[in-house]
Amino acid sequence: MLAITKSMALQGLEGYLVAIQVDISNGMPDFQIVGLPDVSVKESRERVKTAIRNSNIEFLSRRIVVNLSPANTKKEGSMFDLAIAVGILIADRNIKNSNLEKILEETIFIGELSLNGNIEKTKGILPICIEAKKLGIKRIILPKQNAKEASILKGIDILPVNTLKEVISYLNGKKKILKQENTDVNLNHDVEYEFDFSEVKGQQSVKRALEVAAAGGHNCLLIRFSRFRKNYVSKESTNYFARYEIRRSIGNYKNLQYTWINRTRKTTYYQKTFSKSTSYYYTSIFSGRRKNSKATERLV
Amino acid sequence: MLFLDELPEFNQNALESLRVPLEDRKVSISRLNTTVTYPSEFMLIASMNPCPCGYYGSQEKRCSCKSEQIKKYVNRISGPLLDRIDIHIEVNQVKYSQLERKEKTETSQEVKNRVNQARKIQLERYQEYRIFSNSELNPKLMESFCKLNSKSKKILEIAFDKLGLSARAYNRILKVARTIADLDACAKIQENHVAEAIQYRSLDRKYWNNR
Repeated sequence: MLAITKSMALQGLEGYLVAIQVDISNGMPDFQIVGLPDVSVKESRERVKTAIRNSNIEFLSRRIVVNLSPANTKKEGSMFDLAIAVGILIADRNIKNSNLEKILEETIFIGELSLNGNIEKTKGILPICIEAKKLGIKRIILPKQNAKEASILKGIDILPVNTLKEVISYLNGKKKILKQENTDVNLNHDVEYEFDFSEVKGQQSVKRALEVAAAGGHNCLLIRFSRFRKNYVSKESTNYFARYEIRRSIGNYKNLQYTWINRTRKTTYYQKTFSKSTSYYYTSIFSGRRKNSKATERLV
Repeated sequence: MLFLDELPEFNQNALESLRVPLEDRKVSISRLNTTVTYPSEFMLIASMNPCPCGYYGSQEKRCSCKSEQIKKYVNRISGPLLDRIDIHIEVNQVKYSQLERKEKTETSQEVKNRVNQARKIQLERYQEYRIFSNSELNPKLMESFCKLNSKSKKILEIAFDKLGLSARAYNRILKVARTIADLDACAKIQENHVAEAIQYRSLDRKYWNNR
């Protein structure tokens, strides 16, 4: 028997409808997925089979063909698992409901199956839901972990589920799934800033320019003279200053290492004559000109 | 928001590929059999030194670079990319007296409130046009929203002749002037708004004109 369920996939940031056609016939036991699936989709064969078996449903080995339509676009991801499983169960006559066709027409299934029949979260739920709403789909059955993300959208029923069993009993008309309530996004929460503009001394013109840039969404180029950064943030703002100090100490460390290498190779004239600490210093600075001994002597 | 520190040190190809997303606010990636378009609405903030030694144009210290070096360094930012950046500003060194000053300056929260107010004005104004900020204005919309009075026209005219501004720079100045007016909660653009906007546009001549 043939069954068709609906799911959605992402291309870039736009969702598109994927019809999942499942056919079960007699013949050599086989399970094929066609319609340009990538490895993660192909692997769903094992997940779907095992998940159905672990949901206490008898799963007979027969010849199963699954087509992901449109068949000419590549599909990736594990979000088709649920739709494939539901399609197989319907094609196998495991779900009986007089309204089934109407329900399938209005519903989209999204979710990755784990082997024990749980439904795991998937990526890109929000763009999928937006596209589904545009297409006039009435409800989306999706993993519970994704429900909050989807609930931003109004005008479409979000039905979060945890297990394949819940979906089966819903389709059989035995149990209802509680709708997810709409939530609003709060963009205006106050953030505590690590740095505050009030800590920056002077630079009024720069602050003003950045304010204008922020207010109008303008691009902005800062042309700054050297050493600006050191003076940029006042003494109190420890964080920025600390970073600067670290960078300086890394520089010193490198110099030290360099002198150490030089010393092991060859002990030079000024290293002998000067005390240890000063020779460290001078070798690090003049190491580039060591061969020119006159110049180094003069400099030392 | 995209912040690029030390702008000329970036790979030139990478910088040039920013041109289209900056203009169209979306980025298209073509692969074997599909083309995917992603939205890329962002605000670019970049910072750079004016020359390799970092003192060209500074009032406090002399620059030690050769003129070719400066040219080469600065020209890593191409004209078209520079044109797409609305505001150019010089960051000067802070004087010791300023560091010692203890007077209170504005906190980020106060600035944010002003910015939010200006954004709100824009959102309301552009409700029907599906844009959100002044930077997205197209020439047609600018005609109706960025009207100038005769005085500010005069200022702009003088600046145009003296600074040799381009047509693109003209549009940018008007947009920035609109934003400054919004920050002041003025419905019409005044002379001081235009003057401030011109000021943000005068630096590219100082650093890039010697090519």
